[in-house]
Amino acid sequence: MNELSRAQIRDLMAQVLKNQDKELPADDAAQLREIGFRSLDFSELALRVEDETGEELNFDAPGLRRIATVGDVLDFLVELQHQ
Amino acid sequence: MTLTTSRRPTPGHPEPAGVDNRLVVGGAALTWRALPTPVLPDPAAVLAHSAVHALTAAWQHAVHGTELLLSTTGRVDDAMRAEVLEAGFTVTVLDDDGGHPSAPARARAAEPGRLWLLTSGSTGRPKRVGHTLDTLTTVRADQPDRTWLCPYAPGTYAWWQVVTLSLTQPGQHLVVVEPDELDDWPSIAAAHGVDAASGTPTFWRRTLYRDADALARVPLRQITLGGEPVDQAILDQLRALFPAARISWIYASSEVGASIVVHDGQAGFPVDWLDRETPGRPTLSVRDDELVVTSPYHGAGLGGPVRTGDRVQVLDGRVLITGRLDSDEINVGGSKVSAGVVRNVLSGHPAVAWARVTGRRAPVLGRMVVAEVVLTASSVDTDEAALVRWCADRLPEHAVPRRIRVLTEIPVKETLKSDV
Repeated sequence: MNELSRAQIRDLMAQVLKNQDKELPADDAAQLREIGFRSLDFSELALRVEDETGEELNFDAPGLRRIATVGDVLDFLVELQHQ
Repeated sequence: MTLTTSRRPTPGHPEPAGVDNRLVVGGAALTWRALPTPVLPDPAAVLAHSAVHALTAAWQHAVHGTELLLSTTGRVDDAMRAEVLEAGFTVTVLDDDGGHPSAPARARAAEPGRLWLLTSGSTGRPKRVGHTLDTLTTVRADQPDRTWLCPYAPGTYAWWQVVTLSLTQPGQHLVVVEPDELDDWPSIAAAHGVDAASGTPTFWRRTLYRDADALARVPLRQITLGGEPVDQAILDQLRALFPAARISWIYASSEVGASIVVHDGQAGFPVDWLDRETPGRPTLSVRDDELVVTSPYHGAGLGGPVRTGDRVQVLDGRVLITGRLDSDEINVGGSKVSAGVVRNVLSGHPAVAWARVTGRRAPVLGRMVVAEVVLTASSVDTDEAALVRWCADRLPEHAVPRRIRVLTEIPVKETLKSDV
């Protein structure tokens, strides 16, 4: 199975923000609200991960959780690839 | 079952007025009158091998009134074939060697003058809709002489529109292209003096994309679009190439016939056309975002208001048809997005030759708007980010397609439609 590393997902996340002339901070603790990364951006990132791996993510598997920081997003998507 | 062999018109079926119009088919020029009249069972479901065989079946019907369902071998699968045999038709494959009949499951008497259409099946399985030459003929006023291109698949509603025009009106000539000639139609059309052409927006986009210079050499005076939602961008592109032509778009279907004809070069139709009742003309209404048509040109058993399944949106005094209700609406986290509206915005980008907009499964929001595009030859450097920004400047945030895939060729089905 193709799987993206945390660093690769981070690059994709930076791309999502860059397309909106925003920058992804290096700090994983950065708050999504402050950098302007919202649910539409999160969904786009998930689609980008799917397109890179050629595999569908199972969005239904994990329960909803609090995703507030850059690190939360990366952790969540790394984990989703294992579902 | 009866066999029709006479070449003379059957009593009660006067000779069609367009009998001496010119036909160009398979590279040969002839007239309706010069077409061979095939021996056909009655009722017959004719699967035409090529365009000329379809024309002979139509001519046979026009002269003899044989009950006829006309289609092509490619459009009728085994299940549909069984269904048609069950309904009492002799299924006849018509090719250069004549008819190759398969007997019906149970024979029945023919219904003289009845024509059957298989709807294009964009809503699922094709179904049969009953018509006559008369209900299929929607152009009745005298027309200036024209040589029409017929690019449609034989037996479809659009094909019958062009064919009945030529059968019933003197001076309406036809140049028919086979599916394998479709990419090269402008050179065929230019060679035979085609000055009027009817096609889907996908057909026109594909032609502009492949070779706009070749298209510009066709001396078009009448350009007609139909069969799919018509957006402003394609109308403007055709206008730029043919400043003096009349550019019309038509809303028509097997179920309700030709119901809307717009000649002003604008997408959509004026909102004051809604709920206007004129004898002999269709009445157009909107119910729950759906176009409802009450038409005198309806198919058999489809009188009264017909819910078309097409979604409309009123914008700046025009009623725009954005797409099929069941596929046009994309629910992005509770916000409704019209795929057709997004497609119109993308198609308006100067680098975009064609666009398809769909919903894609996504976390948190349920679905997300995504798109596929084909870029014009001179714009291959345009990237996804530029197209996303174009949309972001013109659409609400949730309607902006976030993933835009670039295709190298405009996809097209036999009906000349894309799955948009």
